[in-house]
Amino acid sequence: MYTVTIKNLTKNFGSSVAPVIAINNLSLNIEKGKITGLIGADGAGKTTLLRTIIGLLLPNEGEINVLGFNPVAQKDELNLHIGYMPQKFGLYEDLTVIENLRLYADLKGVTHDFDKMLEFTTLAPFQDRLAGALSGGMKQKLGLACTLLGNPEFLLLDEPSVGVDPISRRDLMKMVREMITPETTVLWSTAYLDEAHNFDTAVVLDKGKVIYEGKPHDLAPTPQEFENKVIDLMGGYNKEESRIAQNYDYHAPDVELTVEADNLEKRYGPTNKPFYAVKNNTFKIKKGEIFGLLGPNGAGKSTSFKMMCGLARPTSGTARIMGIDIKKNPERARANLGYMAQKFSLYGSLTVKENLDFFALAYGISILKKDKKVNEVIEVFGLKEYENTKAEELPLGLKQRLSMAAALIHNPPVLFLDEPTSGVDVLTRRDFWNHITSLAKKGVTIMVTTHFMDEAEYCDRISLFYKGETIAVGTPAELKQIAKLISQSENVTLNSFQGLTQEERNQMLKQVQHDNMTMEETFITLIKESEK
Amino acid sequence: MKILLALIKKEIKQILRDPSSIVIAFILPLISFLIYMYGVNLDSVKVTIGIKNDDNSPEVATLVKSFGHSKYVNSINFDNMEDIKTAIVRSKIKGAVVIPNDFSTKLSRGQKADLLIITDGSEVNTANYVQSYANMIANQWLLTSKYKGKMQRPLINAEIRTWYNPDLNSHYFIVPGSIAITMTLIGILLTSLVIAREWERGTMEALLSTKVRAIHIVIGKYIPYFILGMVSMAFNVFLCVCIFQIPFKGSYLMLFLVSALFLFTSLGIGLLISTVLKNQFMASMVAMSMGFMPALMLSGLMFPINSMPVFFQYLTAIIPPRYYIAFIESEFMAGGVPEIRLANAFYLTVLGLILFVAVYKKTQMRLSND
Repeated sequence: MYTVTIKNLTKNFGSSVAPVIAINNLSLNIEKGKITGLIGADGAGKTTLLRTIIGLLLPNEGEINVLGFNPVAQKDELNLHIGYMPQKFGLYEDLTVIENLRLYADLKGVTHDFDKMLEFTTLAPFQDRLAGALSGGMKQKLGLACTLLGNPEFLLLDEPSVGVDPISRRDLMKMVREMITPETTVLWSTAYLDEAHNFDTAVVLDKGKVIYEGKPHDLAPTPQEFENKVIDLMGGYNKEESRIAQNYDYHAPDVELTVEADNLEKRYGPTNKPFYAVKNNTFKIKKGEIFGLLGPNGAGKSTSFKMMCGLARPTSGTARIMGIDIKKNPERARANLGYMAQKFSLYGSLTVKENLDFFALAYGISILKKDKKVNEVIEVFGLKEYENTKAEELPLGLKQRLSMAAALIHNPPVLFLDEPTSGVDVLTRRDFWNHITSLAKKGVTIMVTTHFMDEAEYCDRISLFYKGETIAVGTPAELKQIAKLISQSENVTLNSFQGLTQEERNQMLKQVQHDNMTMEETFITLIKESEK
Repeated sequence: MKILLALIKKEIKQILRDPSSIVIAFILPLISFLIYMYGVNLDSVKVTIGIKNDDNSPEVATLVKSFGHSKYVNSINFDNMEDIKTAIVRSKIKGAVVIPNDFSTKLSRGQKADLLIITDGSEVNTANYVQSYANMIANQWLLTSKYKGKMQRPLINAEIRTWYNPDLNSHYFIVPGSIAITMTLIGILLTSLVIAREWERGTMEALLSTKVRAIHIVIGKYIPYFILGMVSMAFNVFLCVCIFQIPFKGSYLMLFLVSALFLFTSLGIGLLISTVLKNQFMASMVAMSMGFMPALMLSGLMFPINSMPVFFQYLTAIIPPRYYIAFIESEFMAGGVPEIRLANAFYLTVLGLILFVAVYKKTQMRLSND
């Protein structure tokens, strides 16, 4: 039994003279009652395929049958049986949680019975909060809840876990698994390969074609190997010497601690009832170190970032970049810094070259040297082909690369990267981290946040952040050991462990084996532990 | 029906939580009324002029005095032309009257006497006032002076009656006209954003995969903004009639009926812009230039339509505020004129229906191909 059968589907965009092929003669069957993962690089055609399946886009050629309906002619009838969560999920940010639920219930013609849903999503305490004021993870949960209303027979989710922390990601997965019936079919597009490894079926798309279809476990037994196999299917990743790092004009600074946070604090609200976005945040990063900030959505990572680079003023405490106080000398401190913001923050209507021209001048590169520098950066970052393309028209992976190029154009000794790989496909991410690690080897100090736990492994040290406070700092191996230790022994808690001296801690960790502990489990264990 | 109700409820909540819609519907009319009442004035104002009297006969001195006593003019005496020139350049005076030294001599001989009136052509309106006030004061003085007998009797006595607005108070038509501007802003500017916003935020894509149909989306936008517009209309009329004491001679029922029709057409323009452009920034730009500016310039509120070039006169035919302003001015000042009501209501209905159908046809239930 198939929920979806697709025969020779082709979908083009743009003019008929020079069409861009998004789906190329694709045939696919999706089994009823199974969860199918849709995997592929940016621009592989995942979103187009989902939209075409439910009739939001009309195909150029080929036949589609969904639950017995033809989405081209019977979109309205089909709508009654499906739940679709678009990538940019359409919550009304100026309506509250409960109002969003009520609206979507009315639009789907189902009753206002949300008790189970609210309890399940843990949104019950926030039901009167505006959707716009929820954290990223909560928003996605609410979006999923709205999509699940009316128990649709066929659920289509377009990258619901982008930018969502590991705990919320687990919750999303749990929600879907527990709210559906055995007859429900789910089509779940994702950039997380560990997520896809859990599904019944995996469909790998590349350039609008299916390049693999089958059980993920048949391809590889573990998520890590699965990822490698998928990368091979996509054409493989050849790790080359990073040209970005090779061409980096790095001058070794005379300070050893290039980045320091000193009791950094951000407080909102009245003094008698303060809310701390960041509290008592202290850390020191050495030259050439990759320092990861990990934590759930809304933990205060971005706020810390913004304070560290002088974009937000700390309520108390300060930060130093290359020994320069960011509060006293923000301009001088920032000159040593490359910052890549979470949201794409370049000029969409300017071309790649124009953007880089602008940032080169903005970062104080002299007009005489600018052209040479910009051309070099375009060359090194592999943007030559797109030089005259408007930034907003680039696929996500290239946008990220352009953002990084802009942040690096003045070759700063310190780099701040705020979720640089959010929503980026696995190949691009590998490439990205190749550059990052090579830069660090050259001596560049890097502070980075991410929700990909496999990326955390690249970090030299990690600070785990929760509710505005650092709950643990250490190398990935140390954090794994701590997590293992806490989950193994009943009388050790995170608090009691932190209370010990360095020597005692080392002593305790010595005996702990962490080989089978993943970073994700570590993250979840430590966050759950500190919640107690 | 349930779907429609849900969409309307949603929209109303969004309106109430969005300060900009409240500002446009209630604060803006208040501000524009204040500006039109106390800022803009197309009527006569008291101007200051300079007087240089070269004739020192006592009779002429009374002419100088009567300039000083006029309720339209303040006068300053000057001794030489240089000072007058400087004063005009510095905008201390708006014009000047120069009485030559043979003024009284010529008058007593029964000859035509010259009077020099200097006006500042860089401010045309004021220049006209100066000219006519000076003329008027001089003529009035003549009638009371001892030279009265030397004057020929005019054969025609023009009696002037100004109908509908006997005081020639421009507030009486500008302030009601500004209701049209507010209604245009609500109808076009506010609504030009609302469908585009759904596309930009991705909520439209989510709506399109539910039971919602095009007609729900269209009516679900018309009704809430119609309600907002009518509430604002009532507030406007209240301000106009009760607070600013603008006389209202027509029927409130007709006023609200035709206003509803006007709002219906304006909403059509706004929603059409929004539906076609799907981009809030573009939509607001187009709404400003295609909706608001013509409402201000081409509607006949500021500049009379029959003094426009022929092309623009025809162009105004497709501008809804033109009909509405014609109606609202007559309703306020002249009371009900059945022909005006009927003609304007008819045009507004036709335009409104055409726009409604256009909005419905342009509402896509799929994503476009780009």
